Amino acid sequence: MTPLLEIEGLKTHFPTANGVVKAVDGVDVTLSKGEILGLVGESGSGKSITGFSIMGLVEPPGEIVEGSVRFKGEELVGAPRERLRMLRGDRIAMIFQDPMMTLNPVLSIATQMIETVQAHRNTPRRQARKQAREALARVGIPSPDERLDGYPHEFSGGMRQRVAIAIALLHEPDLIIADEPTTALDVTIQSQILAQVQKLCADTETGLIWITHDLGVVAGLAHRIAVMYAGRIVEHGPADALLDDPRHPYTQGLIGCVPAANRRGEPLDRIPGTAPAPLNRPEGCAFRPRCTRASRTCETEPHQTRDGLRGWHCFHPVAGEVPA
Amino acid sequence: MTVSLIHAKDVSKRFTRTSDLAERAAIWLGAMKPPGTVHALDRVTLTIEKGEVVGLAGESGCGKSTLGRVIAGLLPPSDGTVEWQGEDVAKLSRAEARRMRLATQIIFQDPMSSLNPRLRVQNIIGEAPLFHGLIKRAQARRYVAELLERVGLDPDHATRYPHQFSGGQRQRIGIARALAVNPELLICDESIAALDVSIQAQILNLFMGLRRELDLTLLFISHDLSVIRHISDRVVVMYLGRVVETAATDLLFDAPAHPYTRALLDEVPTIDRRARRFAPIEGEIPSPIAPPTGCHFHPRCRYAEPLCAKAVPDLRPVAAGRLSACHLAEDILSASATKHGERSCASAR
Repeated sequence: MTPLLEIEGLKTHFPTANGVVKAVDGVDVTLSKGEILGLVGESGSGKSITGFSIMGLVEPPGEIVEGSVRFKGEELVGAPRERLRMLRGDRIAMIFQDPMMTLNPVLSIATQMIETVQAHRNTPRRQARKQAREALARVGIPSPDERLDGYPHEFSGGMRQRVAIAIALLHEPDLIIADEPTTALDVTIQSQILAQVQKLCADTETGLIWITHDLGVVAGLAHRIAVMYAGRIVEHGPADALLDDPRHPYTQGLIGCVPAANRRGEPLDRIPGTAPAPLNRPEGCAFRPRCTRASRTCETEPHQTRDGLRGWHCFHPVAGEVPA
Repeated sequence: MTVSLIHAKDVSKRFTRTSDLAERAAIWLGAMKPPGTVHALDRVTLTIEKGEVVGLAGESGCGKSTLGRVIAGLLPPSDGTVEWQGEDVAKLSRAEARRMRLATQIIFQDPMSSLNPRLRVQNIIGEAPLFHGLIKRAQARRYVAELLERVGLDPDHATRYPHQFSGGQRQRIGIARALAVNPELLICDESIAALDVSIQAQILNLFMGLRRELDLTLLFISHDLSVIRHISDRVVVMYLGRVVETAATDLLFDAPAHPYTRALLDEVPTIDRRARRFAPIEGEIPSPIAPPTGCHFHPRCRYAEPLCAKAVPDLRPVAAGRLSACHLAEDILSASATKHGERSCASAR
């Protein structure tokens, strides 16, 4: 069976006056139907650009210089713009961090949703409106009939994000890419949205890539996790295996940085230093300067070690040293 | 009895927007309603002892930042009093008030907007102690270098500008600036929220180290409960302008005595809880312009009874060292204690 999404050796680069920024520099991802993948990384790791690359939304001068993105077996890199536009919003949908930027402030919610429906189907207006109302109800917006005629500024942050999710769901896409959609929201509202997303993926077998910096969110939500650092995936695997028994020192460091219940008041493990500037990444393993296990070998690029369902890029993996 | 460092008593803070001429005309003609009053704080009482780390938790709009600013003396309270070492801040002489404000320093969320982009780091940090006569001009260079070293920055970078530093380093500059005037109380208002996880851990460690070395008192304001749990001795939870619960950190996290605290704890994502079912509380935080009657949380509370919509619950002692503003606090407390027991059994299995 062809997987829903297969990304191989994806490289998205941005030429600038000072050199080429290798935002995404060799990323491999596969995703099956109904699967939730948590794509975790700190700012500048290239996780959002990976999402944009799948959607064909990389703006010039940035471009995909290498690699392939296959969606249900169909190659999307180099596909005609018209074909990508047909897929976007129909089979593949994206949800962004800030719904105030993605919703048009001068159009009513109804207009925006009907527009989305009619962009891909020859649906009569009345029917499209009905679909829009159902989508709003599905994401838990109270009294959807009245809210449909409201404008984005009349909605709270959490409600606006629900509208954005409802728009993404209009055509029951096969794949949703969610880029930090709950980062700006309060805990209780985030939880409401996670509950809805989880249910939708289980009910409709939609594949979901959840991009975030928050390991706690993906631990509760994702089936599989991929950790990105400096444009590359350094480790991926089933959520439990990766969180309980990390192999890459960066993954281990990230987990150690999160305050845990049983170590109150003790100093947190810390990763020394900061992420390298995108124009000035070290040769070989990009994590090398911050890594306690690094050696001369790390000056060459580590290949992937595979173990069943999981894999990592490291010459000196952490093994069996489960943090207490 | 020892005197508390800070004792805020029944503090309320209301914000009203002033209308311009056109709006006043519209209101007079009945075309517009007069602007509402935002009740940011509603009779909040908070005590901070010397040397204590108090965590102030709550969601956006609950008034936690306003409370921080009132305690720092940046905003006058609309009602109630704030006492600094037993003396009413509103009645202090000018010189004493200035001393009190120096001893209380705030570290803000966004270090880029709180550092002057046109000043060199040595001036950002050295300006206040020079102005207040804490150091002489000749000593300034060495003083700044010591502070930079204390917060983990290279003293040679003192001649740089803020934009030449990363986010985490800028936050360290903000901390050095606050420490420069020898404060007793540091108010950290979401000081690490904008930073990456690995940098957050570095700054949290810095705060914990500073507290030990300099015997600082911290009021740590954050929406992130796992951070609050890690650093605080005592936790205060706010909801829509009121304190709903306060207790020692372990007691509060083991068995919350207020339905809101309990809901918050259930919803916080942690890496120990896998493939979970999210079962959130319904509804959103109501508007502070028209808060609900009675207990502010009752429209979202699954335990609410008719009484909750009528009477405002007092913040009252419910067990040793614990205060809760809930009519049903005793029931909630015993229910959470049982639930906690079950949870530890489940994790032991």
